[in-house]
Amino acid sequence: MNKILLIIRREYLSRVKKKSFIIMTFLTPLLIAGIYGLIGYFTYKGISDTHDKIAVVSVNKTLKDQLSSDKNIEYDYVNKGLDEMKKSLKKSDYDYVLYLPEFDLKAPKGVELFGSKQAGLSLNSRISKDIEELIRNQKLKESGIAQSDLDQLKTSVDIETKKIADTGKEESSSAGASTIIAFIAGILMFMFIMLYGIQVMRGVIEEKTSRIIEVMISSVKPFQLMMGKIIGIALVGLTQFILWIVLTLTISTVAVTVLVDKADVKKIAASAQNGSQITTGTPAVSAAHGPMMDIQKSLAGLDFGKIVSVFIFFFIGGYLFYSALYAAIGSAVDSETETQQFMMPVMMPLLLGYALSLSVVTNDPYGNIAFWLSMIPFTSPIAMVVRLPYGVPNWELALSMVILVAGFIGTVWIASRIYRVGILMYGKKTTFKEMFKWFTYKN
Amino acid sequence: MLSVKNIVKQYASHRALDQVSLEIERGKIFGLLGPNGAGKTSLIRIITQITAPDSGEVLFNGERLNANHISQIGYLPEERGLYKKMEIGEQVLYLSKLKGLSTAEATKRIKFWFEKLEMAGWWNKKVEDLSKGMQQKVQFVATILHQPELIILDEPFSGFDPVNADIIKNEILELNKQGATFIFSTHRMESVEELCDHIALIDRSKKILDGGVDEIKATYRNNTYWVEYEGEYNAASAKGIFEVLQTENVKGKTLIKVQLQQDKTANEVLSLLLPHVAIHRLDEVIPTMNDIFIDKVKRQNYE
Repeated sequence: MNKILLIIRREYLSRVKKKSFIIMTFLTPLLIAGIYGLIGYFTYKGISDTHDKIAVVSVNKTLKDQLSSDKNIEYDYVNKGLDEMKKSLKKSDYDYVLYLPEFDLKAPKGVELFGSKQAGLSLNSRISKDIEELIRNQKLKESGIAQSDLDQLKTSVDIETKKIADTGKEESSSAGASTIIAFIAGILMFMFIMLYGIQVMRGVIEEKTSRIIEVMISSVKPFQLMMGKIIGIALVGLTQFILWIVLTLTISTVAVTVLVDKADVKKIAASAQNGSQITTGTPAVSAAHGPMMDIQKSLAGLDFGKIVSVFIFFFIGGYLFYSALYAAIGSAVDSETETQQFMMPVMMPLLLGYALSLSVVTNDPYGNIAFWLSMIPFTSPIAMVVRLPYGVPNWELALSMVILVAGFIGTVWIASRIYRVGILMYGKKTTFKEMFKWFTYKN
Repeated sequence: MLSVKNIVKQYASHRALDQVSLEIERGKIFGLLGPNGAGKTSLIRIITQITAPDSGEVLFNGERLNANHISQIGYLPEERGLYKKMEIGEQVLYLSKLKGLSTAEATKRIKFWFEKLEMAGWWNKKVEDLSKGMQQKVQFVATILHQPELIILDEPFSGFDPVNADIIKNEILELNKQGATFIFSTHRMESVEELCDHIALIDRSKKILDGGVDEIKATYRNNTYWVEYEGEYNAASAKGIFEVLQTENVKGKTLIKVQLQQDKTANEVLSLLLPHVAIHRLDEVIPTMNDIFIDKVKRQNYE
């Protein structure tokens, strides 16, 4: 036992002390915080700062002087001909020229937008929505509905989804928030199992190619060496994961308090309010706004303690399950280039679990596929953490955990039998058949 | 101190060891000889408990081999290496702690040995920065640091430059004087011949020869001598005493290889020659271990 601890210590320290580990650990949260900062900044800027000035040349009498401006768009009806406006567009301070021809309200055709630059998709849809609304109002008026009635028709409905928990308590939830958490958890799990599983394999290959393996196994049992390496690297993974969480939280908190001054916060709040007031005018903004509130509310509703602890359990379980297989692969080859043929069968279930989890499971977190994916130990680490934010019955969680534990005991046992023979084989191309033979060797 | 009894080790399709028995006495240097693939490494792996025999047993000081003996055995494998990115001092410390030494004790001994083998100042170096000879010194230190009773060296001098080989040879002799028992495993007899007290020859998974170096040589002596002289003698008179196997003329001197007839002695050769020629030297032809080895292996192959 003491020897395993020594091995764990070496495997852990030699990796944590590496420059690449330190750089990765500290740079990644900075990058994540930075990327989110940029996204936030540009989204905010995008909403508040776009301002398009549009000259409207309207031959159409019905639509004359009807389009109303707001802070993002300014419609300016001009009394000049289209050709003249087009010619002088570059010199004028207008961004675009909008041409509204005379048309039948039932089949509007021939609306054109000219600009010195290509109009973006959001501007395009914004203008067409404004025009469509004008036409609709016009049609409603023609069928005898008064303007005052029209105004009253504008309503905004936000659905607040609530999940009734096992305890009978209602919890705020949102498909959006759960999906985001599920995606993040799934991707993280996939990355961690892959990255650290492959580290185990590399470690084994390194010991083989540097030929220290023989020196080592005259002091320790192959099983001790394998487990020491697997556990040591698992601790490296956990260290990195915990540091990432802590650092990301610290950096984003510091960044928010230092970089964003109060005036900006007010501005954001104001723009958010604007958004809700002009619900009908700018559906895009209101749509973004509604779920935002929901997400904030339901994020509070999610049990983060549970999610993080279950995540850690499945990370360790899934990692042990796969890393034992990676250790067996590492022991069977002489260099990393030879690992290809063995990597495929190990990678496939993980990739499949990843792909299915992020598509099928997020769409139907309680379905049959989701259930089985979260039970089979090859896919359960990813599928279960993806399902988790949607709520998983405790018995399913417990069953999946038990199966995973049984699974990794199984893979560790199989791997250790291959490993103990493989590490002493040099210069031979190994096949699956041979690996099976090793498995059946007596000690 | 080590008794190997009727060891059999079978791999899927071939038998690596077939009823091999050895007796290794305390304080001796034992040579385990044999061509490549004979089963030497398989036997050593059984002694170092890397693998277990299919049948037979190994006794260490009369006790059946068990995990407690690991710390009393030092093993330098033929395929040896070090962690490339790890500092030398750390590395030797790690290896000796795995053998059960405390950090303080191990550090003390590493410092002593590094001093002794002119390796002081290597502590913080990485393996990548060392030459191959330097690495082998480090490996040697790691092998003996825990003061094992039994030290097993597989191809100990392969890859060593002559200077370092000599340094290591002297350390081995000194450790042996202090009571350590050695097993050398090699297919290059000449490298260990002068060191070994006792040898065993393994060929194709069977032990084919076992005994003290001097005894073995004695049994392989066949009454052959080199004689160098100046002058002429009557070859016919030699009949009944010796037979000339080979004649060479070098710078006016004659060198002949002679085989004596049964129960004749070198004295009789000399008394026959002395009246006729000026004798410069007379040497007995003693077979080297290499000759015996080749002879034995070849004979085995014919049978």
